[in-house]
Amino acid sequence: MRGFGIGDRSTLPISILTAVVIVAAWWGASEARLVPHLFLPTPEEAVNAAISFWRDGYANASMWEHVSASLFRILTAAAIAIALGVPIGLFMGLSRWAKGVFDTPIEFYWPLPPLAYLPLMIIWLGIGEASKIALLTMAMFAPIAIAAQAGVRSVSLERVNAALSLGATRFQLLREVVLPSALPEILTGTRIAIGVGWSTLVAAELIAATQGIGHFVMSASQFLATDFVFVGIGVIALCAFAFSFGMKMLERWLVPWKGQS
Amino acid sequence: MDRASVWFAARDGKPVHALDRVSLDIPEGAFVVALGTSGCGKSTLLNAMAGFLPLSSGAITLNGHEVHGPGAERGVVFQKDALLPWKTVAENVALGLKFAGVGRKARRERALSLLRLVGLQEFANSAPYELSGGMRQRVGIARALAPDPAILLMDEPFGALDSMTREAMQELLVDVWSRTGKQIFFITHSIEEALFLGTHLIVMSPRPGRIVARFDLEFVQRFARDRDARAIKTAPEFPELRDRVRAIVHQDEVYRSAAE
Repeated sequence: MRGFGIGDRSTLPISILTAVVIVAAWWGASEARLVPHLFLPTPEEAVNAAISFWRDGYANASMWEHVSASLFRILTAAAIAIALGVPIGLFMGLSRWAKGVFDTPIEFYWPLPPLAYLPLMIIWLGIGEASKIALLTMAMFAPIAIAAQAGVRSVSLERVNAALSLGATRFQLLREVVLPSALPEILTGTRIAIGVGWSTLVAAELIAATQGIGHFVMSASQFLATDFVFVGIGVIALCAFAFSFGMKMLERWLVPWKGQS
Repeated sequence: MDRASVWFAARDGKPVHALDRVSLDIPEGAFVVALGTSGCGKSTLLNAMAGFLPLSSGAITLNGHEVHGPGAERGVVFQKDALLPWKTVAENVALGLKFAGVGRKARRERALSLLRLVGLQEFANSAPYELSGGMRQRVGIARALAPDPAILLMDEPFGALDSMTREAMQELLVDVWSRTGKQIFFITHSIEEALFLGTHLIVMSPRPGRIVARFDLEFVQRFARDRDARAIKTAPEFPELRDRVRAIVHQDEVYRSAAE
């Protein structure tokens, strides 16, 4: 029986064809000089720029230094945001007082674009790593805490009652039932947080940094080195893709039961 | 064992008289079945016995101790299995033992012997979602038995199963009951199931929930002895009693709708 919609049929060949068409259009447009060369490098120039970036670096730093500066920021911030967001979110789901207390600041700052308070972070914490990591932590904390809280709320009463009638203490209930039940939501929240963190990071580096992929794109653009800008965007896309792939793998490994029961 | 419960439950501010001074004594080794239409308070009664619901007045005692909140000496089997999907079948069964601080090896051994009791030993390492509905309920029964409770409370455990699985589960439950000698309090809305399983039957009526009839039965002892379910259900006294009980349930319904 055929289901409604596209079902399970693979879209891979269509996706590959689309990608080929886009690259061909880029190549055609740049070769034919439909757009001034300054604005649109050819694919070949972009590849050469990538090789030169790989070999010699750019703006007083090697490619690895740029990438690792960005990765260090986002991974440190993610670790702090998870370490704070998961327990606080669980607590908010369990206690009326915790929800009342933490809801106020989260609901106030979470809808703000993080770049709006970046200047404040710089005034308070300086231009160095601390301000950027604090900014990212704040941007990533809210979605994780909100997801953990929603995860607690999704725990079925029957599971809780079952555990209690088997003699669970409050702590055992939390560890054996509530936390694993909330884990799928926490992972979804973390995935969203990584996305938010990544876009915040690049934007923050465009504004204030001496290293990092965002800074690399910014300084290339100031010299109108469009081919290097293309390379920078490509590197950012690759990193973002790798993160989202890694989260999917993590989900498959940690919550294989998701959607099964 | 269990005596004199009196109380009211309130929901959204409106007081609902869910159970009206229900008194019930469950003797050692008895299999008590509560029968009634939906909303008659039988689940409320079970939830109160399990400790999930507080009483408004009256008391529930088990072996001389008053019941306050849920506890491992009262095992509960739910309508929906409520198994934990991230644990294997054996780990689910052993959950109560883990809470009690039993060591890993002893836990595993006890879980395997309970799975043998319900005929699922070869599924010990499967995930719960790989099992059928009937198998999951059997895991639920094994899990409730693991901490060795004094009484097993079962809330329409076979309600979601197809009729063939249901009959097999009833026979399995009688086996478990006669082998462990546990007291069982069992809720159902199927008259046949009630008659076949119980040593004692109470018929309940809603608004306010109360017991309107009590019967002592002996079909289940006969089954435990002869193991012939068909002979029991076709013997003349089975349909006779079934019609009497049905008349009580229906009469009560007619009376209620007339009152409204």
